Amino acid sequence: MKKDITRRDFLKLTGVLPLSIAAPRFLHSLDTFQQAQNKSQNVIVLVLDAFSALDISLYGYQRETTPNFARLAERAVVYHNHYAGGNFTTPGTASLLSGMLPWKHRQFVHYGEESEIFVKNNIFRAFENHYRIAYSHNPLANNLLGKLDGGGNIDNYIPSKQLFLTTDGLITDVFKKDEDIASVSWVRAIKSKEEGFAYSLFLSHLYEPYQEFKIERLKPLYPRGVPSVKSDNYFLLEQAIDWLSSTIENVPQPFMSYFHLMPPHAPYKTHLDFYDVFKNDSLKPVPKPFDLFSRGEDPDFEEIWQARRSYDEFILYADREIGRFIDKIEKSGLLENTWLVLTSDHGEMFERGIQGHFTPHLYQPVIRVPLLIFEPGRRTRTDIFTNTSAVDVLPTLLHVTGQKQADWSEGSVLPPFGPEPDPQRNLYVLQAKSNRQFAPITVATTTLVKGQYKLIYFFGYGELGGSGSERIELYDLKNDPEELNDLSSSKRETTAELLNELKQKLAQVNEPYI
Amino acid sequence: MKRYSKQGLWALFLICAFPLHAWTIILAFRDFSWVTERTNSWDAIGVVSYGLIFAFIESVLVFLVAVLLGFLVSRKWAEERRLALVGILVFITSLWAIASYLFFMLNISIAGETINFFASLAHPLRVLYVVSLILVGITVVLPTYLVLRSEKFLQGVRGFFERVSTLTLFYLFFDFIGLVIVIVRNV
Repeated sequence: MKKDITRRDFLKLTGVLPLSIAAPRFLHSLDTFQQAQNKSQNVIVLVLDAFSALDISLYGYQRETTPNFARLAERAVVYHNHYAGGNFTTPGTASLLSGMLPWKHRQFVHYGEESEIFVKNNIFRAFENHYRIAYSHNPLANNLLGKLDGGGNIDNYIPSKQLFLTTDGLITDVFKKDEDIASVSWVRAIKSKEEGFAYSLFLSHLYEPYQEFKIERLKPLYPRGVPSVKSDNYFLLEQAIDWLSSTIENVPQPFMSYFHLMPPHAPYKTHLDFYDVFKNDSLKPVPKPFDLFSRGEDPDFEEIWQARRSYDEFILYADREIGRFIDKIEKSGLLENTWLVLTSDHGEMFERGIQGHFTPHLYQPVIRVPLLIFEPGRRTRTDIFTNTSAVDVLPTLLHVTGQKQADWSEGSVLPPFGPEPDPQRNLYVLQAKSNRQFAPITVATTTLVKGQYKLIYFFGYGELGGSGSERIELYDLKNDPEELNDLSSSKRETTAELLNELKQKLAQVNEPYI
Repeated sequence: MKRYSKQGLWALFLICAFPLHAWTIILAFRDFSWVTERTNSWDAIGVVSYGLIFAFIESVLVFLVAVLLGFLVSRKWAEERRLALVGILVFITSLWAIASYLFFMLNISIAGETINFFASLAHPLRVLYVVSLILVGITVVLPTYLVLRSEKFLQGVRGFFERVSTLTLFYLFFDFIGLVIVIVRNV
């Protein structure tokens, strides 16, 4: 039965009417308030170098390498299938900083020239209304930051020697424009300890004991040696974390900060607390075939496995210190108003006769990296299993802090902050360190990850027969996460489809350089 | 009166520079392939160039030390003899330094019987030190004695140094090219 509106009801409705007229304006002002609040939020991007997702217990690795990450992940967004932009520091870091893939930002060779597109389009430029601060242990990342600092993008670019106990800073200062090769040569000339011999016949015997003397008191705490970059730029992660946390609490807000710490990058020199903790565990390596690109004709698989153990023990050290860093900034209240991104520039591999990341390969260990995003005030964990890329980080940070979106970026806003991305989205990784920097890509490895499939395409390498030669592999990551069964000959249709897409993409990115 | 002539000092410098440059060149070319693999051959050339510059600097330092040592040698011997003495001592010391590196470079391991023999002694370390001292002593004392006492040996050393000096001049030319490369890489 239909009920008539009484006079009382009518009066009630009339009373609400002004509110309904005011509501949109009120809600809009609330939204504006929220946006203004977001715009004043800080950002910390914390990169741990050469940190493979495949060695992280949070992602299912059998060794308990990241107890602190697991604890902290309970109030973070955890990305399970996150990919770096490249397989070593330069392209990986540049992709993270620019939101572009290596074939666009063009920072894919060691210490290459700066590219205009990178200097003009990057995270620091995008956060120009923030106080921008950056530090890196890693000389390659420093080289990139130096280019951005030169372009007027960074307010406070902290020199790497700030956090080194000893340094060969004189060499890098004198030969600033050729820092990498000058320091490689310096290491070979003066530091005999690593290999047992050096170019120098006399000075090395004086220089090394002098450097060693300065860190003598720390040696008992680091049985594999005090952590270092390029042999004798010694550092302590504890000291770096203390310095970072106290510095970050005192910089003007809102700030955008980028910190790039060396561990767990080689040499894997863990703290005494974690030394040999995995020595007698039952984990065994998954047997994988010897590869064409393995270094040397007879790689020592046992030695590589031992190196992985040292790496895992070094991760434990990094995990503890990162845990301490986050606890510190949380205690100070900074985390309540700060977006924290924890990730890596690339991974590390210990299989197929290959150790490290100086390789043409793009197998999962060397490109799948961790990504955790800590949102201000978040108290719950969200797990994201969609494939995501380093180039997504910049658009995501701009989106969540209410900044103008980066129209140059090739990434998308990450879930859950943006719409759920297309699961069939094409996700690329590029390795082209032997290619000329500003030329079409003709010597490289590229990967296309689409849904559960991953296509790896090697081309132009001398080992394959030089120009025009290629090698194609297809893996089903869902059913074969160890990439043991190459499906390129059994799934010809999928291979052809993905290869066609990849080649089209290559043709597109090569276009400006032809 | 000047203790050493300019020509004598130049000859001594060439002798000091020879082993340092020869060793650097051997190792730098040994590193060439991995640096090329790491980046490219231009960078590998860069590593060789820096290596040569560092070798030149070290040569100058070793030469200065040798000159200072030269002041300790009595003037009762002719300049030629004194320079030959200092030169041969630098040379022998360099050879010992190279030998210590070769031990690691060629992955030389001491025979099990030798280790067992030393281990069976009451004071193996002391004996090792004494043996080393005798070896080094012989390689230093014997040439020193021969340079100072034997005319034939002195002429042999001089002949050897002359040949070596010619080679070192080539190395110094390479240093110059290395310097140009380093400058080009840094401008």
